[in-house]
Amino acid sequence: MVQTSQPKQEEEYGYDLFPGRNTGQHKGRSFTESLLTFNHKCQVMLQLATETSPYAKLLLSAMKSSGCKVFKERHFSCEDCDGTVSGGFDADSSQIVLCQNNIHQQSHMNRVVTHELIHAFDHCRAHVDWFNNLKHLACSEIRAANLSGDCSFQTEFSRFNFGLKQHQQACVRGRALRSILAVRKINREEAEKIVDEVFDTCFNDHAPFGRIPHDKKDAGFAGRDYENRGRYYANL
Amino acid sequence: MDRSGKEAWKPPRACDDYWSEFRHCKSLKNCFHHYYTYGTSPSCQQWKEDFHNCREWEKHRATESKEALQRSERNRVAEQRKFTPVWELRQSPPRDWHMPLNQEKPQDS
Repeated sequence: MVQTSQPKQEEEYGYDLFPGRNTGQHKGRSFTESLLTFNHKCQVMLQLATETSPYAKLLLSAMKSSGCKVFKERHFSCEDCDGTVSGGFDADSSQIVLCQNNIHQQSHMNRVVTHELIHAFDHCRAHVDWFNNLKHLACSEIRAANLSGDCSFQTEFSRFNFGLKQHQQACVRGRALRSILAVRKINREEAEKIVDEVFDTCFNDHAPFGRIPHDKKDAGFAGRDYENRGRYYANL
Repeated sequence: MDRSGKEAWKPPRACDDYWSEFRHCKSLKNCFHHYYTYGTSPSCQQWKEDFHNCREWEKHRATESKEALQRSERNRVAEQRKFTPVWELRQSPPRDWHMPLNQEKPQDS
């Protein structure tokens, strides 16, 4: 999920899903409040995700190498969100929003962090026009759904989606479509057309993983390749 | 393309890495994931060939093995790059990535 901001057009770009954003106020909280709230749980799960998820660790490395080192306090924000949305990337403030009221399991946090980091990574390495170019938005959503584990067999199974042959592709299409429809006022047909146009390119763009990481073992192999990239490209 | 750099050529990956990729590729789990993603079974033979060429090069410094390995890896890279990108890559990261958050910033500045 991606948002960009334009003054007075918050609803048009999905900002209404994140009522805590852009209020112009810094919300203070007492120490006790912080300990016992969703906010604290969110912070703890975020810390664990960045330290133990091989997906997140690879993305953080790749972003650092691309000149976008991620600082938790600056680039992540745990907030309350509307509906069932799990997170978002705010390109305007270069921040990843985590929906503390909708993320309750570590595995879910790991996936959301990975998903949003993929948007941040795209923002860092390419001129992504989040605001005006729906193809760019669609492409990043396809990549995020494909590479974050959002569409892994286990995750889909847990949602009672029991597809098998090429189901990953159907899942990626569906989730990218949903993400676009959630933040932009276009009709389903238009959104489907855009996803179709960019699907082949974006489904096959596996940067920085070099492969679709289906599980932690795949992500581990991808991490190894990433660490080895100097030697690899020097000896091609 | 040819490096006249200081370091001698060595295989792009450690030989053991080729073998572990081969084993990983052939695993039941990976076959399942491949079918789930592409609807087909994976093709793993190239990893095995690369492993043998890598070992050949290590033992005998055979030019044929080196070239075969380079061809295989360049092919892998080409496979990854064969689609026209949707966006233009940056030359430098976004300027405002590290800018501090200004909570009092007016909405329309």
